[in-house]
Amino acid sequence: MWRAVGVFRFATLVYGAVLVLRDHDGYAHPARAYAALAVMAAWSLITVAAYARPAARRPWLAGLDVAVAVALVLGTRVVATAAQIDHGSATLPASWAAASVLACAVAGGPWAGLTGAAAVSAADLVERGTLAQNTFNGIVLLVIAGLVGGYVVRLALRAEAAVDRAARLDAATAERLRIARDIHDSVLQVLALVHARGRELGGEAAELGRLAGEQETVLRSLVAMTPVPAGDGRLDVRALLESHAGDRVEVSCPAYAVPLLEETALAVAAATDEALSNVRLHAGPDARAWILVEKEDDAVTISVRDNGVGFASGRPERASAAGRLGLAQSIMGRIRDVGGEARVTSTPGRGTEVELRVPRT
Amino acid sequence: MYPGPDDPIGVAVVDDHPIWRDGMAEKLTAAGFTVTGTAGDGAQALRLVRATRPRVVLLDLHLPDLPGAEVTRRLLAADASIRVLVLSASGERQDVLDAVGAGATGYLVKSARLDEVLAAVRRAAAGEAVFTPGLAGLVLGEYQRLVDAPAQVAAPRLTARETEVLRLVAKGLTYREIAERLTLSHRTVQNHVQNTLTKLQLHNKAQLVRYALEQGLD
Repeated sequence: MWRAVGVFRFATLVYGAVLVLRDHDGYAHPARAYAALAVMAAWSLITVAAYARPAARRPWLAGLDVAVAVALVLGTRVVATAAQIDHGSATLPASWAAASVLACAVAGGPWAGLTGAAAVSAADLVERGTLAQNTFNGIVLLVIAGLVGGYVVRLALRAEAAVDRAARLDAATAERLRIARDIHDSVLQVLALVHARGRELGGEAAELGRLAGEQETVLRSLVAMTPVPAGDGRLDVRALLESHAGDRVEVSCPAYAVPLLEETALAVAAATDEALSNVRLHAGPDARAWILVEKEDDAVTISVRDNGVGFASGRPERASAAGRLGLAQSIMGRIRDVGGEARVTSTPGRGTEVELRVPRT
Repeated sequence: MYPGPDDPIGVAVVDDHPIWRDGMAEKLTAAGFTVTGTAGDGAQALRLVRATRPRVVLLDLHLPDLPGAEVTRRLLAADASIRVLVLSASGERQDVLDAVGAGATGYLVKSARLDEVLAAVRRAAAGEAVFTPGLAGLVLGEYQRLVDAPAQVAAPRLTARETEVLRLVAKGLTYREIAERLTLSHRTVQNHVQNTLTKLQLHNKAQLVRYALEQGLD
């Protein structure tokens, strides 16, 4: 931003110098014109150097900037002849004065830019005494430069802050992944070991082992990343189902991401939750469950199978079976809503299988 | 040299986690296996295997010096008769697939019960593939990926029967249950499962050779 202001300042300095060289015969005091040009050049160098350091970008510097521009505009009177001025020729600094307005805009936003523009415009008016057409044009341009310049700068700063925030979020995510990996490699393994060893020893040790197992599951779901939809609004359905893995549930899926539309993925996750709670409630105390995620050509199939007691699907009049069928209906409803199909099959004594097939797009 | 069928099965345990490694060695010994040694990284594992010739290597994929698949490849290059059984934390799916592609004979998660681990070591020692539901899901996914990849020349495909069997393994059915459901013999189910793995490993080997030829490394 500041670099842009600096470039503008020197470009307009060159333009001002060209005007002075062209007109120097007509000036009442050409030497004073060259002195003013020298002041402009020196001030340009000073401001570019000063604005380069963030600590120096203070309101008073921008104010001083405007004051110098105003002084030079007013100084036109002591250089040029009255005829030149009344003829409507450019002021001494010409468009160079606008650089100070831009500096105000960059430093303080649209309102500071407008204030700077007002000051320089006022000097213009005082210098000329009348509101000639090209003076008016110049004032309008200054005001626009101050306002729009300030606004654009605010936008740019906000965008920069957003990019910065995103970068920090990225870093935090990476850090979290690293911690999750570390926990995975150390704490979880020890907990798993205590869990397994306790189970073998039995008695009180079994109780300790069970507790370790519970904590293992809790910690595992804690470090599992909360899935966030990718840029295209899709969710890796694996990330949603993985947290079910534990002592009684095994989750099998491909090694690559299985993206689904967010709505579809969430419906699948909810249906899977229901199927698993069904297993807990009805399949018997020793039942285990397996979740399989399969990607096909144009669909994704998720199956939840258990090896529990199962039920006779042809006998809905039985109360417990009716409860399960009710759940099955709800699962089917969810999946149908996202354009998929659900199938529940069960055989008494051989467990139950819920198969969810949903479109990939 | 090679242990006979009545000899105890020699097992090497490779894991960078000392508590886990020693605990596992202890349990294997208690269960009647001969632990030929333990190692904490890939280089140590290679030295150990060359020196003690175990029949089964229980391999953790997360080692400090080498990727698990590379360790698997080098172990098998050192002694093609050993069985590499991957015992690793869940959530390292691509690593597991790479190791299996490099010739590992099976995969168990570390949270598996001890009796499951012991049974798996016995089966690996007998030359069987050790297919958990998790591994079956990975292998199914890999075949689908090969179907999806358009440039794959002569990529292996599963037969309808193999897909069916693999799917049932992934859903947690035992070989016995699968045999019953599909009215096949236990042996046939085993062969189907083994085939899916062998095809994948052959394909990987062919890919490596093709890559080497393309790069002029032959």
